[in-house]
Amino acid sequence: MDSATNVYSIGKPAREIDNDILKPVESFPTKTWWVVFSIATTVMLIMWGIIGYTFKVGLGPLGINNPVGWGFYIINFVFWIGIGHAGTLISAILYLFRQRWRTTINRAAEAMTIFAVMTALIFPVIHLGRPWMVFFFFPYPNERGPIWPNFKSPLLWDVFAISTYFTVSLIFWFMGLVPDIATMRDRLNNQESDSKFGKLWLNFKRGVSNVLSIGWVGSGKTWIHYEKMVLILAAMSTPLVFSVHSIVSMDFATSVIPGWHATIFPPYFVAGAIYSGFAMVMTLMIITREVFQLKQYITLKHLENMAIVILLTGMMVSFAYTIEFVIAAYSGNKIEQYAFLNRLKGPYAWGFWTMFTCNVVSPHFMWFKKLRTNIPFLFFITIIVNIGMWFERYVIVVISLHRDYIPSSWDLYSPTWVDYSVLIGSFGWFFFWYLLFVRILPQIAIAEVKADEYGDQVAKGMGH
Amino acid sequence: MSIFTDIKKGLYRYEEPNGGWVATVKDAPALLKAAEKARDAGVKDFDVFSPFPIHGLEKAMGLSRSWIPFFSLCGGIFGATFAFASMTLIDVFSWTIIHGGKPAWPWPAYIPITFELMVLFTAFFTLGTTLYLGRLGKISRRPLVNSVTSDGFAIWIGGNLSKQEVENMLQGSAIMIQEVPRK
Repeated sequence: MDSATNVYSIGKPAREIDNDILKPVESFPTKTWWVVFSIATTVMLIMWGIIGYTFKVGLGPLGINNPVGWGFYIINFVFWIGIGHAGTLISAILYLFRQRWRTTINRAAEAMTIFAVMTALIFPVIHLGRPWMVFFFFPYPNERGPIWPNFKSPLLWDVFAISTYFTVSLIFWFMGLVPDIATMRDRLNNQESDSKFGKLWLNFKRGVSNVLSIGWVGSGKTWIHYEKMVLILAAMSTPLVFSVHSIVSMDFATSVIPGWHATIFPPYFVAGAIYSGFAMVMTLMIITREVFQLKQYITLKHLENMAIVILLTGMMVSFAYTIEFVIAAYSGNKIEQYAFLNRLKGPYAWGFWTMFTCNVVSPHFMWFKKLRTNIPFLFFITIIVNIGMWFERYVIVVISLHRDYIPSSWDLYSPTWVDYSVLIGSFGWFFFWYLLFVRILPQIAIAEVKADEYGDQVAKGMGH
Repeated sequence: MSIFTDIKKGLYRYEEPNGGWVATVKDAPALLKAAEKARDAGVKDFDVFSPFPIHGLEKAMGLSRSWIPFFSLCGGIFGATFAFASMTLIDVFSWTIIHGGKPAWPWPAYIPITFELMVLFTAFFTLGTTLYLGRLGKISRRPLVNSVTSDGFAIWIGGNLSKQEVENMLQGSAIMIQEVPRK
């Protein structure tokens, strides 16, 4: 492609690209950053305090009861895992499809994946009741029999799926960072400081970037292998991301609870995950481009493309909702039919209708170019979509559980202060990591931006 | 036989520049041209340095394609076999537990974990091979020219050529030529 026709071209010399992207890393954080960071940290610390409290007294203070054995913790788990999926979609799937617009957003999206999975991982562990027994998950030769986990259980598949997902995402993200950290390392050579503290700080930064750049010098021989590695990791992450949320959905689908026992669950969950994840990426990108003056890198066109993905996946999710109702009606199974009527008219109908408004109605605003290029409106929609996707999991978990087969065992679920604080705290934990990330690592893949920018030049120069 | 030579050819490792000359050039196309000239002149030890991957570098440097995918495949096969075999050994030989009347060897239920470990070991093998071939992990290493991680492009030409020979080889495309100390 000619650089004149490349709408994503930045049109700046390489050194200025470095300056722009590394500015937040190399300057002292602003007051706003400190304020937001302290709020996130406080909320996070409160969450850990409350989690510590439940470690001491058990799960009694939670809202869960006999029919509704899965409450906010599992809802949050599915929600955060879903958020993570968009990062892999952007970094791996859009890479394989050679979508150029992913270049500037993929680093931040991958970081979001890692932090979202870190958030999600908290929940199954603290929901164990006896979290110190978490090592029972892992099959290793032991002196307890040996006693092994049940390989037929989707809950165990989840352990493998999510730990693999986290590890592979981390490898992919870190290896992507290596050339950029090398750029940071070599820029530190030109810096000097007069004050004693400044010198100490500079040496510290040099030490860290030396270690993290693992001796990268941009050698051609290494680049050739590196490119193949990125391709393989992208190709492996693509089926991985589908498998992870499919397996999460099987936690529900392989049980016999009405409303859960459906074969549509895996694709439905994957579409929902990408939907909510893209909304979260967009929320973060809109803030990032404003705060760090990266509007040249993350343009309106990028946001528009993401809005179109949200429209597409939103419609897939709506389609899945419809299919669920149609199949329930068609099944002739009284209990299944009741479960879905209960969603529409039961005591938690407000949850269903919140979900419906947020997830089915709101993406359709994206059909209009005026609306999908209006940034405050986009920001509003992304928040709405994420609220809707949280309520989708609420509907699935709570509405299905609170009325199952025997009416005598029916009960209502009301979350307690512990549930609410841990939900809010999980956002604190996520933003704690994300805010640290934007200040210590380049949030746009510098080497990839340059490769896109100057790749055209190479093609022309070589007369291809 | 030929596949083994092919694999071997595709496993070139990064070599630390030792002696010879390093020349900076203007941009990525100039770097590719310089690499082609070094290749055509029959220089054995040379490497190029750039801030981003350049398309067509293998051909210009006269290298064959990277055989990393072969090791990824090995990792995948290892991971899948390891997972499936361990679960079989555990369920059939170590301690058989019948859950819900399902068979003692419920192989279809092993597919998800087999798949996950296949992906995991593919990633490990790919990463390991890349680190090995790039000799990455030596944190004291510095680029020969500081700017190659930002906007600079450089070519290192090893061997016992004189500065004049290197200049002639690059046909005036070199901006600056420096000697690389021998270790």
